[in-house]
Amino acid sequence: MRTALLGLASLVLLATALLGARQFNNTGLESARAQSEEQSLLIYSATDRTAIAPLLDAFQRLYPAVTLHYREFNTMELDQKMRQLSNYETPDLVISSAMDLQVRLVNDGFAQAFEDPVLNELPDWANWRNEAFGFSYEPIVFVYNKAAFNGRDLPRTHEALATALRSDGLFFQHRVGSYDVRTSGVGYLVASQDEVTSSISGRLQESLGRAFTQVYCCTAQILDAISSGELVLGYNMLGSYALARAYADPRLGVIVPHDYALVVSRVAFIPKQAPNPAGAKTLLRYMLSLEGQQVIGQQGELVAIHPQATGPYSVSALQQQQTIHQQSLNFHPIALGPALMVYLDQSKRRRFVNEWQNALLYDPIIP
Amino acid sequence: MSTTEPDYSLRRRLVSRTTILLMVVLLMLSFGVWHYARQAADYSYDRLLNSASLSIMEGVLVRNGEPDLDLPYAAMEMMQLAPSDKVFYQVTHQAGVLITGYPDLPRPPGFTPSEKPHFYNARYKGEALRLVMQSKRLTEAGASGWVHVTLAHTRNARQELLADILYKALLTLIGVMLLALVIVWLGINRALQPLSLISRTLQLRTPADTSQLSATPIQEVAPLVEAINSYQQQLLHNLDTMKIFIADASHQIRTALSATQAQLDIAAQVADPVTLPHRLGKIRQEHLRLSRLTNQLLAHAMVVHRGDTQQLDSIDIDVLLKQILTECVRDHAHSDIEFGYHCRCKNSVAPADGVSLREAIRNLLDNAVRYGPSNNQITLGLEPAPTAGLDIIVDDSGPGIPPHLRRQALQRFSRLSSTNEGSGLGLAIVEAVTQAHRGELFIESSPSGGLRIRLRLPGQFT
Repeated sequence: MRTALLGLASLVLLATALLGARQFNNTGLESARAQSEEQSLLIYSATDRTAIAPLLDAFQRLYPAVTLHYREFNTMELDQKMRQLSNYETPDLVISSAMDLQVRLVNDGFAQAFEDPVLNELPDWANWRNEAFGFSYEPIVFVYNKAAFNGRDLPRTHEALATALRSDGLFFQHRVGSYDVRTSGVGYLVASQDEVTSSISGRLQESLGRAFTQVYCCTAQILDAISSGELVLGYNMLGSYALARAYADPRLGVIVPHDYALVVSRVAFIPKQAPNPAGAKTLLRYMLSLEGQQVIGQQGELVAIHPQATGPYSVSALQQQQTIHQQSLNFHPIALGPALMVYLDQSKRRRFVNEWQNALLYDPIIP
Repeated sequence: MSTTEPDYSLRRRLVSRTTILLMVVLLMLSFGVWHYARQAADYSYDRLLNSASLSIMEGVLVRNGEPDLDLPYAAMEMMQLAPSDKVFYQVTHQAGVLITGYPDLPRPPGFTPSEKPHFYNARYKGEALRLVMQSKRLTEAGASGWVHVTLAHTRNARQELLADILYKALLTLIGVMLLALVIVWLGINRALQPLSLISRTLQLRTPADTSQLSATPIQEVAPLVEAINSYQQQLLHNLDTMKIFIADASHQIRTALSATQAQLDIAAQVADPVTLPHRLGKIRQEHLRLSRLTNQLLAHAMVVHRGDTQQLDSIDIDVLLKQILTECVRDHAHSDIEFGYHCRCKNSVAPADGVSLREAIRNLLDNAVRYGPSNNQITLGLEPAPTAGLDIIVDDSGPGIPPHLRRQALQRFSRLSSTNEGSGLGLAIVEAVTQAHRGELFIESSPSGGLRIRLRLPGQFT
C-alpha cells in the first residue's frame, strides 16, 4: 500500500516536472531529452564567471542532467582560440562582450543558425543573421567618486565632461581613468564607436589627454581606483560591472550620459561544429527567454535586454535611477552587423590606435 | 446520332483548352518574371556593392610611399542595407600584394585592370558570393600602379528581393489569369447561348408546328438556322410527296379492286353460262392489272427506299444487262418479239445498285414488250456517254411517245392512253432509280421509229 502510494506520488511529481519544463520551452521534446539524458555543454566565454554565474546556475537547476563546462578567456584570446580550434575540443556556445570580434567570427562562417520564437522578443540590432545574439544590455557610463564630487556639478553629458576637463584641469589631472584601447577589447570597441557616434569625440579625447588620463586593461582595476579615491572619474565604463559595484559600494556613483549612452551587448553564438547543438540551443533559448532574462535583471551583474525583465539590473531600473528633470535617456545600442568589422581592419586599427595614443597619452616631455 | 467520338461538352472543352493555354502562358510569363526579378535584384544590389566599393576606394591613400587604406565606416554601413549578408573585402596593390582585408578572396577569372568595376560570382567559405573588383591607378610618386578593391557579400538580400518581386508578380499574374478565365467562361456561355435557344425552341415544338425558326442576326448562327429550316422544308416536302403518293396509290388500288368487284358481280348475275368464260377472262385481266399494280407499287417503294439508303457498289453493267436480257428472252420465248444486245465500251464497270438497276431495266423491257407490236424488235445497248459515264439504251419498234407527252410519261400513275393496262408506274420507277444513281433519263426516238429510253449513269469512264 505504502509503496503504491509512493509510486503514485513520484509519478505525479514527474508529470508536473515535465509539464513545468514544457512551459519553459516551446519544444518539449528537447527539454525532455535534456532531462532524461546525461549531457554536457562546453562554454567558451569572455565574461567574468561571477557575472554570468547566476544565469548558468539557474539553468543548471532547471536542467540538472546537463553538466556545464565553463572556460574563461579574454576577448582577443577567445577570438584566436576559435580560429585555431582542434577537433577534440569544440565549444557548444561562445560568449563574448567583444561584439566586433564575435561578428567577424560569424562573418567568417564559424556560427550556425538558431531559429526560435524566443527571438521575436529580441531587438533587431541584437540579432545578426539568426547566428549572433546579444543577450545583455550594458550601457557605457561614467563612474565617479561621490566624495570627490561633493559640491561639484556632475558632468551628465560628453560635452559637459569635455568642458569640465578643460575648465577644471587641476581637479581632474591624473585622476581620470579609462580603458587602454590597445589591450582592452571592450575599450577599443567603445572608443571606436564613440568616434562613429559623436562629433565631439576628438575634442573629448584631447581633453582626456590634457588631464593625463590613466589607462587600464580591466574594469575592476579602474573601479578599485575610484573607490579608493585615487581616481575621481572613470570614463566609458561598462555599466553592468559599475552598477553592481555601485550597489555594493556607496563611495561610487554611476552617470548614464544624457546626450547619448552607447550600449554594448554580450554576444553568444553556437559554433558550426558544436558537438551538442541541441543542448546549446536549449541554453541559448533559456538565456534569451523572459525567465533567463529575469535572472539577469534580479541578480546582475549583466543588464537584461528583455524589455519586460524587471529588477535592479534592467533597462527600466536604469531609466528610473538616472532620469533627472524628466530628461529621458538616449541609449544608443551598438548594432550587430558587418560595420563592426571596420575597426578590426588591420590598417584602420593601426591608424585609430595611433590617433588615440597621440591624443590621450599626452607626452609631457614634448610640449 | 452515332459518332465514333465519345460525347463531349463543347463548353467544358473550350474552358479546359483555354485553361491549358493560359497555364502555358502563365508558365512562360513566370519564367520571364523570374528572369526579370533576378536581373532587378542583381541590378539593385550591384549598385549598392559598387557604391560601397567606390567609398572604400576613397579611403585608399598613400603614406610613406606605400598605398594604405583608411576603411570608411560609411562603406560598411552601406553594406548593412543588405542586413543579413556577410561582407568580405580585400585591398591589393599591384599584382596581388595585400594591403588589408581577407587575403584569400577569389579573384575574377581572366581579369585585366581597368577603371570600370568588374562584377563576378564565386564561392568562398562555403557561401555563394557576389563580388565587385574596383581598380584605380595611383599616380603618386613612389606608389604608382594599380590598386584593387574587392568587395563581396552573400546573396541573401538578393534572394529575398527576387522572391519578393517574384511572389508579387506571380500573384498579379495568377489574378489576371483567373480573371481571364472567368471572362472566357462568361464569353463561352454567351457564345453558346443561341445554340441553347435554338434547341429549346425545337424541343418545345409540337409535331403539328411547321413554322420556321426565326432568323437570327448572329452571323455565325445564321447558317445553322438556315440549315435547320431548309432541312425542315425538305422533310415537309417529302411528307407531302408521300401523302400524295399514298392517296394516288390507294386510289389506284381501290379503282382496280372495285373494277374486279364489278366484273365479279356481273359474272355472279350472269344467267347464260356461255358468256361465263368471257366474264372470267375480264376478271382475270382486272386481277392481272391489280397484281401488276401492286408489284409496281412495291417495286417503286423498294427502289425509292434503296435510293435513300443504299450505298453504290462497283458493278459490271455489261454482265447485269446480259443477265436481265437472258431472263427476258426466256420469258418471251413463245412470242415473236426479237431481242438484241450490243455493247460498245471497253470498261463497263460503274458504281450502281444492282437490285434497283435491274428493276429499272426490267421495267423498261416490260414496257417495250407491253406497248410494242407483237413482232417487236427490242434492242438493249450499252455505250459510253459523250462526256463521262455509261448510257443504257432500250430501243423498240413500237409507236413511241410524241415529244410533247414525254414529260408527262415520267410522272406517277400517268398513262398516256386509257386503253392499255399499264400501271403508270414503270417509267416513274426508272426515273427514281436514275435519280438514286444521280444519272439522267432521256426519252428519245429509236432508229426504227419506236421509243428509245436512254439511262445515263455518271462516272469517270472512257
